[in-house]
Amino acid sequence: MEELQDKRLNEKESLELIAQMIRNTKMKMKEGSGTMFLIWGYSTVIVTMLVWSLCLYTQDYRYQWLWFLLPISASIMTIIYKKQEDKKPRVSTYIDRVISYIWWVVGVAGFLLSMVSILAYTFPILFVIVLIMGIGTTLTGLIISFRPLIISGIIGMAASVVLSFLSWKFQLPLFSLIFLFMMIIPGHYLNHKATNNNV
Amino acid sequence: MFKELDPLFLSELRLAVMSILISVEEADFVYLREKTNATAGNLSVQIDKLQQAGYIDIKKTFKGKRPQTLCKITKKGISAFEEYIEALKSYINL
Repeated sequence: MEELQDKRLNEKESLELIAQMIRNTKMKMKEGSGTMFLIWGYSTVIVTMLVWSLCLYTQDYRYQWLWFLLPISASIMTIIYKKQEDKKPRVSTYIDRVISYIWWVVGVAGFLLSMVSILAYTFPILFVIVLIMGIGTTLTGLIISFRPLIISGIIGMAASVVLSFLSWKFQLPLFSLIFLFMMIIPGHYLNHKATNNNV
Repeated sequence: MFKELDPLFLSELRLAVMSILISVEEADFVYLREKTNATAGNLSVQIDKLQQAGYIDIKKTFKGKRPQTLCKITKKGISAFEEYIEALKSYINL
């Protein structure tokens, strides 16, 4: 685009300029939109499989404390990612704000529920976490009109019910599998689409 | 009958800035410069004029150690922009 000056425009040129500027800034997803899904998705899958394999092979359930690695590692990566994002020119839309509110609420709910599960041993934490993450994913997909997220979020919510009927030996691999399909795959796809500005 | 056009929107660059800010919640100076391809000096003068008219709010902050200028359209700016579009329509018989 050529450099804009302080020149006067006629009516037709004005309308063309407005349309062009709005087209340039319309609700395209920013590059890296799927990165938060990838950070939390990969952290969840890796930590879950670590806890599962250690508990299964050692029969020492104190390895459950390794769950704390999940919020710690994902939060550190989130902070690093946000710092990198801060270096880019900043623009925020209403959609960005709504999505960040949704994930704040999901995050706070997830944290509180995790605390409850530490105190109440029988609390079905995996079921509830998948359910609320599925809600967050589906809502994000609906807001940005990105079908893979809508579908994967709904599948995640449905799969959360199945989790309730399994023993922990099978629960944890399924939990990981759900995160793979609900966050990692759509996260990569979203990043790919956003890079090509197709969303 | 032709409606009067707001003289502030007759400048190409000011109109471009308002068109961007009407579609986003907030944008920084660097983003506006990228989208309009304007020089920093010219853009700075034009956003000052828009601020003086009460059409945009400018917030100066720091991003790490670097200064950041955030621009946001005001309610007055939205009304003025909408009136400008209505006036344009009267000129080109939309």
